[in-house]
Amino acid sequence: MSLDLNKVAGSIESMANELAIENSKRVDALNTAIDKFEKPGDINALKHRLDQAKTSWLLAEIPGSLNCRFDPPPLPADHSVLATDGSQIDIDRHHPARCCLINIGSVMLQYGRNHGSFLESEPTLFSKTEELALKPEDGNPGREISIEGPLLGIIRTVEEFRYLARLASRLPADLPALALVDGSLIMWGLMSKDLPDYLVDIMLDKGVLKYINQIEDLNSKHPVALASYISFPRSTDVINSLRIAACPQQVPDCDKFCIGITVNERPCDIVAGVNDRELFWTCLADSQRSDIFISQSKISKTRYGHHRVYFFYLKTGNEIARVEIPEWVALKPELLGITHSLVLEQCRKGQGYPVALSEAHELAVVSGADRQNFFYLVDEYFIDYRLSTSISAKSASKKNRWI
Amino acid sequence: MLIRGDELDEASSRIAEVTQASTAGFFAQCYELFDLPPLGSLIKCRDGDNEILAVTCNARTSSLETGRRPIARGKTESTEEDVFRSNPQLKQLLKSEFEAVVVGHSFNNKYHHYLPPRPIRLHSFVYLCNPDEILEFSRSLEFLTLLAGARTELPSEELIAACVRFIGACHAEPSTFTKEAGKKLAQIFVYDYQKLRTILLRLKL
Repeated sequence: MSLDLNKVAGSIESMANELAIENSKRVDALNTAIDKFEKPGDINALKHRLDQAKTSWLLAEIPGSLNCRFDPPPLPADHSVLATDGSQIDIDRHHPARCCLINIGSVMLQYGRNHGSFLESEPTLFSKTEELALKPEDGNPGREISIEGPLLGIIRTVEEFRYLARLASRLPADLPALALVDGSLIMWGLMSKDLPDYLVDIMLDKGVLKYINQIEDLNSKHPVALASYISFPRSTDVINSLRIAACPQQVPDCDKFCIGITVNERPCDIVAGVNDRELFWTCLADSQRSDIFISQSKISKTRYGHHRVYFFYLKTGNEIARVEIPEWVALKPELLGITHSLVLEQCRKGQGYPVALSEAHELAVVSGADRQNFFYLVDEYFIDYRLSTSISAKSASKKNRWI
Repeated sequence: MLIRGDELDEASSRIAEVTQASTAGFFAQCYELFDLPPLGSLIKCRDGDNEILAVTCNARTSSLETGRRPIARGKTESTEEDVFRSNPQLKQLLKSEFEAVVVGHSFNNKYHHYLPPRPIRLHSFVYLCNPDEILEFSRSLEFLTLLAGARTELPSEELIAACVRFIGACHAEPSTFTKEAGKKLAQIFVYDYQKLRTILLRLKL
């Protein structure tokens, strides 16, 4: 017997009922958040309090205004959009072949006079001992880490940026361009305390940031913006900043003033339970973007330098998206404008989601059937070379079901 | 005397590549989107020193991937060209392909109007036959028997009529060829008057 949905249906109904009750309470919180957003009072005072606040949640730094909205600038008639996305087959510890695979989909779409496209998927196999583990360079001390699980995901992200930079270097040098990746620009996976420092150096300084640098350098020839697109974001950075606006203390300090107070009873809980997406769905008109904010993520603040991550929210018509950009894009109006108008147009062409990212995903995706075929192919070569293809008893038991 | 395709400009007549093959027919994908040969065209593939000849039918343009259906994109575009201008990736996500019914082969520099001993290999190149080849091949009308027996999605009357019109257009006197073809079809469909009548109407005989 597999999953018996009849047995869980009652619990699902209870969950829906509880959420419906909670939603009705959240309407008040959302209205309060909108009110605080529209009338934040002295914005400079709020910025000062945000600087000094000691909170357990991530705040959005406000470099400009809090509540300005921007219509998209005109779309450049001739432009290019690049995107990469990746997928992976992790090491199967039940299979005799110790190997993994990363597949990167790359897309370049050129619009206007010389319209055209380039679509490619590139798989890379990792099977050699030195490819399957990372260790400190130049004989420095530090433990070796096996490339599998979350680390493989981090390497995949680095590969996405490497392919994006390579693709960007082939751009026509006379057109404005936007390079897009899916998800966040912030390497949240590297914030794990389990990872040694040398690994962060390899993945960030010699990885993602190096490739972002290469894309930035292209701006000496033509405008090239870089952005990441987060569909249906659940972040609460801006709402958290509104919590500070709601806090009665001059210098908010959660541990000092609210340590004994139950959650939902704190003064700032009047905006609790709402996220940024819900706030901006109400506060933005179609095609408008919010003002820019700065992520207070520790890794972005301390390691990204002038690639520090900024973000804005965009109402694409279908949804509120969070668009993350490096500082050099955020602070240059031309690049910020390109990002706004091209992301919007990409969403329009892509039925609500950027078409370049959608095609990159289609090229990168490794389905269950692909994974199965990959291991069949491995088995065939192993047989040719008289290597063992015996799998674990557990894996065999799952493949050959019996009664 | 058989005229070899390599005496002509191969590049311009190479239109597609075999993607699925059986003894009686094959499927081929065009190199250029929408660049499909007309219904009933005579085409050929190389099989070593010999050639396999076939007649095109069932052309279609569709998604490269079975799970992704094309959707309408032109509501806000002025022209059909603008749809492709605004969506430059489309040309790489769509394919034009056609089915072909084998109607003969060449062996020892001679055309034979019956099935070849083995199917064409996958990824064989597909060429349009040139007018001299079409004239030479259509000296015998026996290929119409194979065409009449072909099992395709298309009604065989449509396929046969299109093929006779296509080949007739290469002859100096198309009406003479068409009349000869009509006589041959009368023999083939001696027990199926309705089908014969449908074809003859399409040949304006």
